[in-house]
Amino acid sequence: MNKYIYFGITTVIILALGASWTIKKASSSHSLKNIKQVPNFSLINQNGDSFTEKKLKNKISVLDFMFTNCPGPCPIMSNNMNELYKSYGSVDQVQFISITVDPENDNTSQLKKYAESYGVYDERWQFLTSEIEKIKTLKQEGFMLYAGELPQAHAIKFILIDEKGNIRQYYDGTDDASMAVLRKDINLLLKEFKRIET
Amino acid sequence: MNKFRSFSNITISFTYLLIFIGGLVRVSGAGMGCPDWPKCFDRWIPPTNIEQLPDHIDPALFNIVLAWIEYCNRLFGAFVGLLITVTMFLALKHHSSNFKIKFVVISAFILTLVQGWLGSVLVHTVLNPITITLHLILALIIVLLLVYGSQTSYYLQFPNSEKKSNYRSDLKTHFLFLLGILILEIILGTEIRGGLEMIRKENPIVDSQFLLDMLGPFKYAHTIFGILIALISSYLWYHLTIQEKKPSGLIKVTSTLIVFLVYSQIFLGEILVFFDVIPLIQLFHLWFASLIVGLVMIQFLAWKQSQIVNE
Repeated sequence: MNKYIYFGITTVIILALGASWTIKKASSSHSLKNIKQVPNFSLINQNGDSFTEKKLKNKISVLDFMFTNCPGPCPIMSNNMNELYKSYGSVDQVQFISITVDPENDNTSQLKKYAESYGVYDERWQFLTSEIEKIKTLKQEGFMLYAGELPQAHAIKFILIDEKGNIRQYYDGTDDASMAVLRKDINLLLKEFKRIET
Repeated sequence: MNKFRSFSNITISFTYLLIFIGGLVRVSGAGMGCPDWPKCFDRWIPPTNIEQLPDHIDPALFNIVLAWIEYCNRLFGAFVGLLITVTMFLALKHHSSNFKIKFVVISAFILTLVQGWLGSVLVHTVLNPITITLHLILALIIVLLLVYGSQTSYYLQFPNSEKKSNYRSDLKTHFLFLLGILILEIILGTEIRGGLEMIRKENPIVDSQFLLDMLGPFKYAHTIFGILIALISSYLWYHLTIQEKKPSGLIKVTSTLIVFLVYSQIFLGEILVFFDVIPLIQLFHLWFASLIVGLVMIQFLAWKQSQIVNE
């Protein structure tokens, strides 16, 4: 009888040790590296207000490049962004930014219309525009994304930026699995952010 | 002990280990460690560094630790699948004339195939909560079938092992009620876990204590069922081992273990509610629950055997 009790206890202890080692490994594997700092920039949002890199401070931002007349992957990206926008509705610390790569057509009123078509009336999701050269430079040098033949050949990445304005990770903005990872990473940054705040 | 029985007992132990590993995948968040199925990042052995990733896969999806946790789960799952297949062939060989044993073991084998397929559905639906629960319930059913097969084979060889005992004969409904409510309790538990994750997704910076408060009625139902389970299992323990003058060794061991595990479960559950939702405790809370289900099955079959031989 005693033999079985010892066997049971030993099994539970071994399983517990193995499991806690695995859980620890798994939770530390989630940490995100700093990729680079977002450079200074100055764009205009759908309400005609200025939006600079300062607005990235003290917020966790998800940013993408798109244009409103885009037939290809943009609707999927905007839908994914909209899903995130809705599910983080109660979290003021998270904001969403879409920068147009077609400023010729996407002026502030066009962007405002586009925003409203997604039910966006607040500033948690902002749509930014400026001169094409400015956007090109920001995209290529600031975010290290290809900016060749704009607007058609624009990147489909979502970029996660932390509360200090550091780029932390890139995600495929058209892919469900990548979106699941992005959600997890947003939550991770929020936890880090909260720890710093308190 | 015939070959079938000793092998199927080994299979049962490894199936329980697999349930533990499956729970570990869940609590460590490694369910999507491999974004594809059955391969992992388009490879039969997952990449050990990011350079080995195929070009068409987004590197942001790759987390080496999570990929290997999920991969070990799949590998171990395949191994257990193999064990169940061998168990089935041994049953067909040693119990070719016993319909019951053949039936349960072949069912276990078929459900194992379904279980593998369900694993692929889980990955394709990016961990749909209902499928996760189904995956667990199916695992429990497979274990119960294997237990049934093994124990039936035992009583074929030793029909009189419960002959000396004379348990109360009106306990059948108690057993069935207990088994049913245990399964329900496990489903409720997975609902609580899933609910917690959903709320946490939407309110990522809220404390888990506050999250539990937001869960509402599920939590109370889980507690009430837990108390019911404690009452019934204690009642059975009392009638099978205290009231009965000569309980068999098997009944004594299973009854005592069940009661011990049920009260441990209440304790672990309270830790989760009053301290914090600790992943390791969550894991054992689930695993103990699945052990209890198997033990109640053994206890029930032993009691049933005594009724048959003492008729």
